[in-house]
Amino acid sequence: MTSAPLPRVPHAAGRILDAQLHLMDRQVLDHDGVPVTTVDDLEVSGPALDVEIARGTPPPVITALLTGSVLGTRIFGGRPPSSRLIRIPWKDVAEVGVVVRLGVKGEPLDASWVERWVRDKIIARIPGGRHDPR
Amino acid sequence: MKRLLGVALGILTAIGGFVDIGDLVTNAVVGSRFGLSLVWVVVIGVVGIILFANMSGRVAAVSGRATFEVIRERLGPRAGLANLSASFLINLMTVTAEIGGVALALQLASSVYYLLWMPVAAVAVWLVIWRVRFSIMENVTGLLGLTLVSFAVALFLLKPDWGSLAGQLAPAVPQQETVWSYSYYAIALFGAALTPYEVFFFSSGAVEEGWKAKDLAQSRINVLVGFPLGGLLSISIAACATVVLLPAGISVTSLSQVVLPVAEGAGKLGLAFVLVGMVAATFGAALETTLSSGYTLAQFFGWSWGKFRRPAQAARFHLSMIVCLLVGIGVLATGVDPVLVTEYSVVFSAIALPLTYLPILIVANDPQYMREHVNGRAVNALGMVYLVIILVASIAAIPLMIVTGAGS
Repeated sequence: MTSAPLPRVPHAAGRILDAQLHLMDRQVLDHDGVPVTTVDDLEVSGPALDVEIARGTPPPVITALLTGSVLGTRIFGGRPPSSRLIRIPWKDVAEVGVVVRLGVKGEPLDASWVERWVRDKIIARIPGGRHDPR
Repeated sequence: MKRLLGVALGILTAIGGFVDIGDLVTNAVVGSRFGLSLVWVVVIGVVGIILFANMSGRVAAVSGRATFEVIRERLGPRAGLANLSASFLINLMTVTAEIGGVALALQLASSVYYLLWMPVAAVAVWLVIWRVRFSIMENVTGLLGLTLVSFAVALFLLKPDWGSLAGQLAPAVPQQETVWSYSYYAIALFGAALTPYEVFFFSSGAVEEGWKAKDLAQSRINVLVGFPLGGLLSISIAACATVVLLPAGISVTSLSQVVLPVAEGAGKLGLAFVLVGMVAATFGAALETTLSSGYTLAQFFGWSWGKFRRPAQAARFHLSMIVCLLVGIGVLATGVDPVLVTEYSVVFSAIALPLTYLPILIVANDPQYMREHVNGRAVNALGMVYLVIILVASIAAIPLMIVTGAGS
């Protein structure tokens, strides 16, 4: 560790988001405003941990919103293997405000598989399950 | 004219929906043991629920975010999960107590054993949640719950000595009671008035009914007028018990003792009305608590929720409510006394209060959510005072429960 002061944060155009404050644990809505999940964690590209960072390395970017078992490990510690992560790619994100809005339909996403399973196997089979209350 | 009707309807449902099994039982127990010396707690509780119900409704109307989404965002997953576990378990206890309350009220009306009514009540709750529109559900149970006003009518018909009754209003520990049991029941009353499910339900209901910022004025009137009148209903239950049960030395252990003063003061007709009111009030609260358990789970995990959607479009939400009702039936089937479950649930509510109310207060001050509708200074000051009261009640609850042997 050197004691030299860190370089200033480069000036960036647009809005500055704090991942912890504006992304983590926010509700994710799909294209039609239907809740999909909550942002349980974020996947960030970039150099691996404990590797010396070479000069001129591009800054890491968010590649995906994560959900699923990662919530459990975030609360109780540990890390699920990469293959077990459920990803919503960052390119699907349309807007970040009070909620995170996607630009795609939530229905076919991997993040919705439990919802689909419960719907098809249980709820839709009970009489009136597809009845519109309004 | 239509607007005026809407306001009147909102106020009436707020009054009728205010009282639930927790209020019924705790107020009667307190009245029969401590007279009116704990009425001040009901007053503090009602002001608190007005403050925070209004705040959570405003957050939901302006930002479209219901309370538990806000709790997860602000407390993070760990503290959020701790809060979810506590709130959910207490809520489950309250669901159990309310369904037991419906069954007990039906037993009073029909003399059919309550365990036979219990599955009927649970299925009825599920059918309403599955099929009936949110606004109809709210209005019907709220309006029928208004018949609980028979408690107030009975109080007048009992012709009590108003002077001595008013003399009891000062906070004082009665001679035959200890200061510990007095404090314990103060916390129970406070918890009964401020149960967390009410803000979960109120804020989620605002989303269900699609409130926008322009509806805020009406919701404020509903709460500001309806809740205090509902609080008066609670106090009249305690006053009835004070007039009839306290001098006779009857301590309340069942719902039949709660309605005894009404039968004495207002006769059969009063009894009939009060039974309708009790069934409606407990049934309405059973709906609200069952929905609240679905709301809290769905909002924490980000599932699709709401009665305004088809059940198939909020599958996990509906499944979790079905499971909760089944658990409630299971607990009641063990033969546990629903009145006892109620007494415990209101005290545990008091314990979980700070975790629920702090995030609401924080978000109600966040301009990203609230734009120009952030809290004013007076509301914030009052909110801080209440946080302190809530914290004290929450910390004192368990030690007092142990010291007093749960108030016995």
